[in-house]
Amino acid sequence: MTREFHPLVKRLLDGELTLGDLPLELRPEGEEALRLLAALDSTPVTLSPLLDARVMATVRRRAGSPATARESFRAGRAWRWISAPRDVEIRLRVRPWAVGALAAAAVLAALVLGRPSAPPARGAIAAFGPTRPSALVRFVLYAPGAHRVAIAGTFNQWNSDATLLAPAGATGVWTTTVTLAPGQHQYAFVVDGERWVPDPAAPAVDDGFGRRNSVVAIAAPGGRAL
Amino acid sequence: MGRAEPASDGAVVRAVLAGDVEQFAVLVRRYRDRYARYAAHMLGSADAAEDAVQDALIRAFDQLRQCREPDRFAGWFFLILRNRCFAERRRGSREARPLEEAQQVATSLDGPDGAVERTERRRALQRALLALTPEQREVFVLKHVEGLPYEEIAQRTGATVASLKMRMHRAYDRLRGELEEHR
Amino acid sequence: MKAACLTVCLVLGAAGLAAQGSVAARLSGRVSPEVVAAVRGMVDAAAARGLPVELLVQKALEGGAKGVPADRVIAAVRALAGELDASAGALHSAGLAAPDGDAIEAGAFALTAGLKEGQVRELARASRTPFGAAATLRVAALLAALGVPAKQTVALVRRTIEAGRAPLDLLDLPDRVESEIARGATPAQAAAGLARAAAHSPVGPPDVPPGRERSRKP
Repeated sequence: MTREFHPLVKRLLDGELTLGDLPLELRPEGEEALRLLAALDSTPVTLSPLLDARVMATVRRRAGSPATARESFRAGRAWRWISAPRDVEIRLRVRPWAVGALAAAAVLAALVLGRPSAPPARGAIAAFGPTRPSALVRFVLYAPGAHRVAIAGTFNQWNSDATLLAPAGATGVWTTTVTLAPGQHQYAFVVDGERWVPDPAAPAVDDGFGRRNSVVAIAAPGGRAL
Repeated sequence: MGRAEPASDGAVVRAVLAGDVEQFAVLVRRYRDRYARYAAHMLGSADAAEDAVQDALIRAFDQLRQCREPDRFAGWFFLILRNRCFAERRRGSREARPLEEAQQVATSLDGPDGAVERTERRRALQRALLALTPEQREVFVLKHVEGLPYEEIAQRTGATVASLKMRMHRAYDRLRGELEEHR
Repeated sequence: MKAACLTVCLVLGAAGLAAQGSVAARLSGRVSPEVVAAVRGMVDAAAARGLPVELLVQKALEGGAKGVPADRVIAAVRALAGELDASAGALHSAGLAAPDGDAIEAGAFALTAGLKEGQVRELARASRTPFGAAATLRVAALLAALGVPAKQTVALVRRTIEAGRAPLDLLDLPDRVESEIARGATPAQAAAGLARAAAHSPVGPPDVPPGRERSRKP
């Protein structure tokens, strides 16, 4: 059976009374109660310094996900969003099997290269070329107002002049298809030659310079390596 | 790519809603640790607190348009985190490192300063806290860990001061019973 | 004998000079001379320790492309060299006597993404045929880069391996987590769900202790 604290002891615990306010016979119980409170650990808890990066990675992904973009277009909110004075971009890195029209484009690319139009191997990002184990990866950036969009990364020696994206019909949409060897590649978009922006739809890592790089990983055919 | 940091939570929220998503990092920095202790005591584990705070921050971003008073983001965010903590306790699935083990505590023989005994009492109380209902634990943590008066707890949780005191007094008795049972 | 030694030394020296020249040629014009000199030294030292050096050169190129001041480029390359070193150490501790460059790079990637050395060691130890250490660590790094907390990352990868899943199931984890995130789950929730699924529906033969080959079925 639980022994309850005397109501005056509870008021002591609440801070409404002091030990001296208690009748003598209640003071031992009061001291016991105060010892209970004294055992409480009020040390501040500090969370991992990586929490910020994890949250922002998800936030950027949410801001640039295809679903979010489609919904926003339907609601019309995106047009007000992107017309704000500050540049705003929705960035998509499209999986070939993920989005209808662009998936069709990727499949067409696969057909052109002589591969069957079956869905790409899981773990791979796109179709493989016919001659050696490389993969086609389609990158899409929605950047209204941009005059030049490039992609730079480990696959082109971080040369922001080597791989330019081209306007792809829809207003503000820029695309390119890059051949990547199996392995992992870090990259970022370069807008108007000076703004380095990571792809919020991709995993991201600290670049060591205070920014984030996006990462794409290509599985070798057979799926035994990443 | 640097930006001047807005002074108020309201300005930051409005900037994010206008499309400057990167500004959300300001709110993340401000609130990542503020309620971490509360979450850790509610969930009994620093690891669980980290998950809860991370999830709550992401949910806050997802629901930011529903923050009717951007200048009172702190209170609104606290409610999101609170709901997350309550949901976690209802699931009861956590098997994390207990809060008292989050600190590296020596287990040597007790010295003259009674350090080991204090550690044991701290651990015992933390275990006993987990035996309370979430509502009882919350009022205890907010008052005795966070140091808030009943009136502010009432404002944050929507409960009346009278009901909070009733919960608290039941919590005192339950804690006493738990500590005696496991002595 | 002396002539043979001299020849070998000359050849090795020439190879080293060629490598240095290669680094200098790639960096020249992309970064300042100060960075070229510093990176050449770090590449030389890393190569002498048996570490892969391509990532060091890439990091310097990246810094130059992003207009980063020389001292910060040098610091970033030095930090990356440290991560490669730490990765190699963790792999050695995990029992990989001679980890290849791929595995070392994958371990460094995992450290960059937020895993600790002990976790890299744990994953390397848990990786076994048909899951190589490099693939295991790359998957873990991608999961961490997606926002899955490090501890959950390790748990999910280990559960997937220990459940006897096919290699493609391991390689597919980042995509599956990303899909769940796009549907509104947090990274932690997505990983927890996949870990539960892996634990409750194991396939393949029972677990075997690390270091023992899994018997292959035809």
